[in-house]
Amino acid sequence: NSSSITFNKTLLKHAAVSQPGFLGLKSNVKSSELVSSRRKRVNKNKKKNWNRHSDIHDVEDFLEDIRHQERTTGGLLSEKPDDSLFFLDVEAEPVKAEKGKRRVQRPLRIDLILQHDSMVPAPKNVTAYQQPNAKKLRRIAQRAEQLAAKGVLPRRQRHLLSRRPAEKTVKKAEANNNPDRDFYAMWGEEKVTDSADPWYLQQTGKKLVQRPEKLNQKPSVLPAVEVIAPGGSYNPDFLSHQALLQEAHDVEVQKQKQEDKLQRQLAFRKEDRATEVQTIISAVAACLYEDEDEAAAPNEDEADSALGAIAVAEKKTERQRKKEKAEKMKTQQQQASRRQTERQQQLFQLRSIKSSIKQQELQTKARQMKRKARQEAQKALPRRLGKLKYAQDLEVQLSDELAASLRQLKPEGSVLKDRFKSLQKRNLIEPRERAKFKRRLKVKYVEKRAFRQIT
Amino acid sequence: MGGTQKKKFERGSATNYITRNRARKKLQLSLPDFRRLCILKGIYPHEPKHKKKVNKGSTAPRTFYLLKDIRFLLHEPIVAKFREYKIFVRKLRKAYGKTEWSAVERLKENKPTYKLDHIIKERYPSFIDALRDIDDALCMCFLFSTFARTGKCHVQTIQLCRRLTVEWMNYVIASRSLRKVFVSIKGMYYQAEVMGQLITWLVPYQFSHDHPTDVDYRVMATFTELYTTLLGFVNFRLYHSLNLVYPPKLDIKAESELKGENEDEYAMDSESYPEKLAALSASLARVVSTAEEDDAQLDAFPTEEEDLEKVEAREKEQMQLETQKKIFEGLKFFLNREVPRESLAFVIRSFGGEVSWDRSVCIGSTYEATDETITHQIVDRPNVDKSYINRYYIQPQWVYDCVNAKVLLPVEDYFVGVTLPPHLSPFVEEKDGDYVPPEKLKIMALQRGEKPAQEQEDDDDDEEEENDDDDDDEEDEEENEDDEDEAEEKNLKEMEKQKSQGKSLQVKVTPGKMKMENPVRLEQEEKAEEKRLAIMMMKKKEKYLYDKIMFGKKRKIREANKLAAKRKAFDDTEKAKKKKTKN
Repeated sequence: NSSSITFNKTLLKHAAVSQPGFLGLKSNVKSSELVSSRRKRVNKNKKKNWNRHSDIHDVEDFLEDIRHQERTTGGLLSEKPDDSLFFLDVEAEPVKAEKGKRRVQRPLRIDLILQHDSMVPAPKNVTAYQQPNAKKLRRIAQRAEQLAAKGVLPRRQRHLLSRRPAEKTVKKAEANNNPDRDFYAMWGEEKVTDSADPWYLQQTGKKLVQRPEKLNQKPSVLPAVEVIAPGGSYNPDFLSHQALLQEAHDVEVQKQKQEDKLQRQLAFRKEDRATEVQTIISAVAACLYEDEDEAAAPNEDEADSALGAIAVAEKKTERQRKKEKAEKMKTQQQQASRRQTERQQQLFQLRSIKSSIKQQELQTKARQMKRKARQEAQKALPRRLGKLKYAQDLEVQLSDELAASLRQLKPEGSVLKDRFKSLQKRNLIEPRERAKFKRRLKVKYVEKRAFRQIT
Repeated sequence: MGGTQKKKFERGSATNYITRNRARKKLQLSLPDFRRLCILKGIYPHEPKHKKKVNKGSTAPRTFYLLKDIRFLLHEPIVAKFREYKIFVRKLRKAYGKTEWSAVERLKENKPTYKLDHIIKERYPSFIDALRDIDDALCMCFLFSTFARTGKCHVQTIQLCRRLTVEWMNYVIASRSLRKVFVSIKGMYYQAEVMGQLITWLVPYQFSHDHPTDVDYRVMATFTELYTTLLGFVNFRLYHSLNLVYPPKLDIKAESELKGENEDEYAMDSESYPEKLAALSASLARVVSTAEEDDAQLDAFPTEEEDLEKVEAREKEQMQLETQKKIFEGLKFFLNREVPRESLAFVIRSFGGEVSWDRSVCIGSTYEATDETITHQIVDRPNVDKSYINRYYIQPQWVYDCVNAKVLLPVEDYFVGVTLPPHLSPFVEEKDGDYVPPEKLKIMALQRGEKPAQEQEDDDDDEEEENDDDDDDEEDEEENEDDEDEAEEKNLKEMEKQKSQGKSLQVKVTPGKMKMENPVRLEQEEKAEEKRLAIMMMKKKEKYLYDKIMFGKKRKIREANKLAAKRKAFDDTEKAKKKKTKN
C-alpha cells in the first residue's frame, strides 16, 4: 500500500513539475540537455543495455530536486503559500552584540554538524509495531473472556486446582543450640525392635554400634561439684575461715619452697667464684712447692708400674696346690659342721623364730594395707594426662576483704575457671596451656615521615 | 630354642594405647574437632601404668587414649558431620573471597547441623543415669546463662541455657525439692533432692564476670552443647513426672494476676512471657489440674522387730522433711531492690512462701511494698526510710539460714543493722567428737525444739561466759568417765556451782512425779555393767586395739575443746573491742 502511495505522490509531483508554475530549484538545468540530440543505436533485447543506455538523468535530477526541496523546506516550494516564503523586512539592523556574549550564545560547531538537518521525518518502522499471530491471539482472548463470563475454567487451571496439595516443605535441620528447640520423651518405654533385618541394618550402617560398658565408668571418683570449705562462706565462722586461710598459706609456702629450691640450684656456686688475689698467691706458691715434690716422685711410679707389667704369675708347686686344697676342704667341713649345730640349736629357738615369722607377716600385711590405702588415695588424685601437671588454686578472702553484707560481697575467683579446673581434676580433659602467639616474620619498625617532622 | 625374635612394642600395653595425634590421624579430624568428638562421646584420656612401654621407650609426656575407644569412635555418625562442616566452611570462605553473595546466602541456608540426641541416649541408657550426671550440666548451664551476649560464645547458646535453667528452677519450686543453700565467696551452692538423687549445683553471682584468659572457651562450649541437650531431656521427663505442661506455661490464674499495665515497657511481646517465667513468682500450669498434691504416705510393710526402729527413724525423718518443705508457707516476703532477687525468689518459693518486689526491678511482681499483709521485708542496707510496724525488716541471710536449719530462726539476730551470725556451710557433716561451732549448736538446739536462752544471755554476758566454762569442764569430764547417767549429775553440779557463786537459780516449782523410769534405767545400768565386763574379758590384742580407738576418740574431743577455747578467746576479744567502741 505504502509503495503505491509514494508512487502516486511522485506522479503528482511529476505532474506539478510539468505545469508551467513549477519552480525548479536548479534553474541552470536546461531542457535541451534533458533530451539528447543524437540517438544511439543499441540492442534493447538485453536488460543490461536498458540500464546502461537509457537516459534517466532528467528523472533523477528531477527527483533529486524534489528530495532536496523536501529536505530543506519540508515540502515543495511551489505548494507553499507565499507568506511562508517571503516576508517584509521592517526591523532595523540589530546592533552587534559584544563579542564575549556572542561567543557564549553560539552553539558549538560539532553540535551543529551533528544536528539533524533534514525536514523530512524518519519513516516509521512498521514491523516494529507488528505482532505475530495477532488475530489468533485476539480470538483466543475473546473466547476466554466469554468462557470466564460463563464460569467455565480453562483446562490448565482446572488441573492445577484438582491436584493434591503438595507435601509440606522438608523441615530445615535446626541447629543444636536453637533456643526454641523442642525435647521429647527420651527414656520412655522401649520401642519394639525394628522389624527390619538386624544384619541388614548393621551392614548398611543404620544401626549404631553398641557402646562398651567400660566407657560409662567415670574416670575419677571425685564428685562433679566440690563444695568450697566452710571457711569460704561469705560470712564465715572464725575458726573455719582461719582453717581455710591456713590451707591457702600452706599451699603458698610449698610453692615458695620449690621456687627457693630452684633458685638455689640455679645460683652461682661459691666454689666456682673467682678466687681472691690473696688466695691465688698462696695457691700458686703451694703449686710451686708441690711441683718440686712431684718432680722426683713420678720416676718411682713409672718404675713400679713397669715392673708390674713385666712380672708374670709364678707357677704353683705341687705341694702348694695340695696344701691349698686341704685348707679349702677344712674350711668347708668347718662351715658344714657349724651349720649343722646351728640347725640343731634352732630347735630350741623355735619360739623366737615363730615370733619373728609372725612379725614379718604382720609387716607385710601392714605394707599391703598401706599400699592399698595409697592406691585408694591415688584414685582421687588427678592423673598425669599430658605435658602439664594439674595445678589447683584456692580461692580465699582475707579477713579484711570479707564483706560486711551480701550487698557488698565481692566474688572471689571465677566460676568458669572453677568448672574448667574441676573437669581437669576429674581427668575428663588434660591440663593445657593457652597456645602462645608465635610471630612468623620479624616486625620492622619504621619511623614515618610525618612523625619525623614533628619530633 | 630358636624361633623368630620377638620385636619390641608389638604386644602388651604398647598395643592397647594410642597417642592423641595418632588417634586424630586415624579419624582424619583436626585437633579441635577430635577434642570436640571425645567430649561429646565421653571418651577421656588415660594414663598408662608403664608410660615407657606404651611410649615405645620414650619418656616424653604424651596424652594417651585407649585404642578400643578410638575404634569405637570410628563408627560415630557425627564424624561425618564434622567433615561436612569443614567443607562448608571452606566453600563459604571461597564464596566470600569471590564476593558471590548469592552463593554465600545459599550456603548459609544449607549449613550442616547435627543433633546429639542419639549420643545422650547412648551415654545415659536410663533416666537415673542422666540424673546422676546432671550436676555438671546444671553448673555449666547456669554459668553460661549469666554470660553477656558479647560473642564469647554463641548468643543462641546463652539463650538456650537461660531457658533450661529457668525450667529447672521452676521444676525445683514446683516439686519443693530444694534442701540446702550455701552463699560462698565463689557463688551460690544449691542442693536439691530429685527422685532420691542429691543434686548439687553452683550458680555464679550476677554481673561478676571477668573472663579468665586461661580457660579454653571452645572446650567449655562443647561441654555446654552436650549438657544443654541432656538437661532439656531431663527437664522434659521431670515436668511430665509432675504432670506439668512441658514447655512450661504459667497457671491461668497466675497469668491473669501478672498482667501488668506497663508490660511492654519492660520487655518486647515476644520476650515478656519467658521473662515472666524467669521471674519465678507464679506457679505453673498442669496437664491435669489437680488440687494440692495428696500427701504421699509411706507404705507400711509388715516388718520384723529389729527393723522397727529403722522404720520409725525413717518416718521421723519423713515428717521432718515435710515440715522443712513448708517452713515459709503462710509468709509473705517483699524484696528490696538491693538484694539478689532471683536467688531469694527461688529459695522462698521453693519452701512455700509468697514473694514480690518492686515493679521497676523486674517483671512479675505480684504485690506492692505497701501491702499490709507482708510479714517479712528483706533489706540489705543500713537503715530503712519508711517502715511498717507489722512486718519484720531482715537481712537476706535469714532466708538462707532458715533453709539450712530447717526451722524458722529467731529474726532478732538478722534485723537491719545487726551484726549477723556467721553463715555456716550446710555441706559440712560433723561426726561425733568433731568441733562444732557454737552457732551450729544453737541451731541444733532449736531443731530439737528447745527454747533459746537468748534473753538470759543478753542480760549478763559474764554468766554466759561462765556457763561456757562449765561446759568445757564437763566435756573434760566426759573424757574421763563413761557413765551413762552423767546428765543428771551434770545438772546437779551446775546447780551446786551456781549456788556456790551465789547467783540466783532459776527456781521453778514443779509438781512431783512418780519415778517411772526405773525399768529403763535398770536396763541401762545393766548394759553398762555388761560393757565393763566385756572390756575386762578382752584379749590383750583386742584390748590394745580398743584402747587405741578410745584414745583416738578422746584425742578428737580434746582437739575440739581446744578449738572451742580458741573460739571463746576470739569472741572475748571481739566483745572487748565492741565495748571499747561503745564507750
